[in-house]
Amino acid sequence: MSPEVHGSARASRPIVGRRRAQVVWREARRDPARVVIFLLLVVVCAAMLYPFVFMIVNSLRSENQYLNGAGFSTVSWSQLFANLPVGRELLNSTLVCVASIAIILLLSSAAGYAFAKLHFRRQGLLFFAIIGSMMVPLQSIIIPVYVNFANLHLINTYLGAILVYAGFGTPFATFLMTTFFRGLPDEITEAAACDGLGHAESFWRIGLPMAKPALATVAVLQFIQIWDDLLVGLLFLQEPTNRTITVGLGVLSSGRVVSVPVLMAGSLVSALPAVVVYLFFQRYLVSGLTLGVNR
Amino acid sequence: MRPDGEQWTGAPMTAEAPLALSAPGAGPSGVASRPRGRDARARGRSGLGRHRARAGILLSVPALVLVLFVLIVPIGEAIYYSMTNWNGLTSQWIGPSTYTSLFTDPVFWRVLENNGILLLAVPVALLVPLGIAALLHEHVWLWKLFRSLIFLPTAVSWVVIGMIAVRVFAPSGAVNFLLGLFGLGRLETDFLGHEYTAIFAVALTFVWSMIGTNTIIFLTGMSTVDPAIYEAAVLDGAGRWATFRRITVPMLKRYFQFTFVITMITAFTALFSLIFIMTGGGPGYGTTTLEFFVYQQAFDVGQFGTGAMLGVVLFVILFAVSLIQLKLLREDQ
Repeated sequence: MSPEVHGSARASRPIVGRRRAQVVWREARRDPARVVIFLLLVVVCAAMLYPFVFMIVNSLRSENQYLNGAGFSTVSWSQLFANLPVGRELLNSTLVCVASIAIILLLSSAAGYAFAKLHFRRQGLLFFAIIGSMMVPLQSIIIPVYVNFANLHLINTYLGAILVYAGFGTPFATFLMTTFFRGLPDEITEAAACDGLGHAESFWRIGLPMAKPALATVAVLQFIQIWDDLLVGLLFLQEPTNRTITVGLGVLSSGRVVSVPVLMAGSLVSALPAVVVYLFFQRYLVSGLTLGVNR
Repeated sequence: MRPDGEQWTGAPMTAEAPLALSAPGAGPSGVASRPRGRDARARGRSGLGRHRARAGILLSVPALVLVLFVLIVPIGEAIYYSMTNWNGLTSQWIGPSTYTSLFTDPVFWRVLENNGILLLAVPVALLVPLGIAALLHEHVWLWKLFRSLIFLPTAVSWVVIGMIAVRVFAPSGAVNFLLGLFGLGRLETDFLGHEYTAIFAVALTFVWSMIGTNTIIFLTGMSTVDPAIYEAAVLDGAGRWATFRRITVPMLKRYFQFTFVITMITAFTALFSLIFIMTGGGPGYGTTTLEFFVYQQAFDVGQFGTGAMLGVVLFVILFAVSLIQLKLLREDQ
């Protein structure tokens, strides 16, 4: 852990303002290498933030201003909203994301609870079937799924895309939820079951509320994945009216006529929700990513 | 990491690590060993065990049905259809000879070469984040802000990254500008216009995109090392580089394995959108990777059978890598 973390337990108030600056200055004098490290990190951050700067600056230009690299205007933003169904696409993305995530959360937490807390025959087989599916890449199944869904008339329906996203996200989510529920003491769930709640009910009333942090991790990971997806959307939601924002943008950029500033404005709009989710739920994302290390 | 971020990953997760470890590969044996004793006990206690078993099935079957419907049955279908001449509507059985004709197709090897180039980028996509994580781990002023900013691009879609990368690698883009600035004007070129520079541009964009994720994973790894070890090293007069080489890197072995696997899986299965936007697989087959070839064969050419077969090949490659990884992990313990 960082020295700051240990320090914060002792000092009730963080060191700020001039005192903070003095501490930093003293540190730098004692160990000049830290100044170099600081500067290197500034350079790294500049490289990581370049796309955001590029999007913001160039979305605020007209096509001519972009080509000349000078001047600013908001004309591209009004063009974006005038010519493209951005609102509709954002709505579609939201709908698909929310529905898929709801299904994933429900199914994976129920299955995770069953695998961790209820013991039944063939449990190992079921667990293996679901968790083992994590290894199947999307590209390997996308063609049969596409054809199956076409036969079921699920292409160009929200339901079709939602089922693909939910099905593809469920294995890892189940793995995560199983791991979480295994960490809960058996006594809690056993006691609930003995108090006359059925097992299904003790899952719903006791297990699920306790699993909020794990559910948040699953939701955030899946949100970013589904919001940012192109392939499934491209195949399963092809109509301009049911397209997600990422697909709308992808289709837009592959047609070569559109102006770069308009594209950049669209990119910003599409990136914003995922960035906001990231900013608010960063720690859940991090815990979800690093969880796999201990597998 | 932030102390509040660990409220559940820190405690129950790591405690459960050995159990969860056996889960994906050794599912049946690993999991069954625990319940068996309980089943016996439960059966003795009248209907209680039966209730529990019924609830277990009730709760886990919905997930299973969805996974069967979207993943397990389709992978079976993919294997079947890979040996047919399939256009999405009708199919004729051909047999395993489809695979031998695939393996003699030069285009297939050209595509695999692109995957090979991406594979070469994987070590870079580990070492750069390792360096950045080491810098962050010094906890210099504002390091938490830097950490958040470096991780931020993780939230951005491949579509957006691809669109910006097209401009970055364009003749008048940032890369050529930087080359000119450092006196490397000879290297200035239209990166996306030539086969081998295009795959280089894709690989570089891929490395850039992995920085956020891998840095965070390495940083988490570094924070698990007991600070007392570092303090002891400093007392022994070890410098920064020596502590990094002798202590940090060996302690991160598991983290290397993990980041290697997810980075490779990303390189082989997550770059569809990036390639779709940046190059469309071209010029020629210059940036067509296996996963992109799947899409192209099925949805551009209409050869669903070939597409399914390529998907199966991709699956087998990733499966083999995962098995090797699991085996390495086992030997570790």
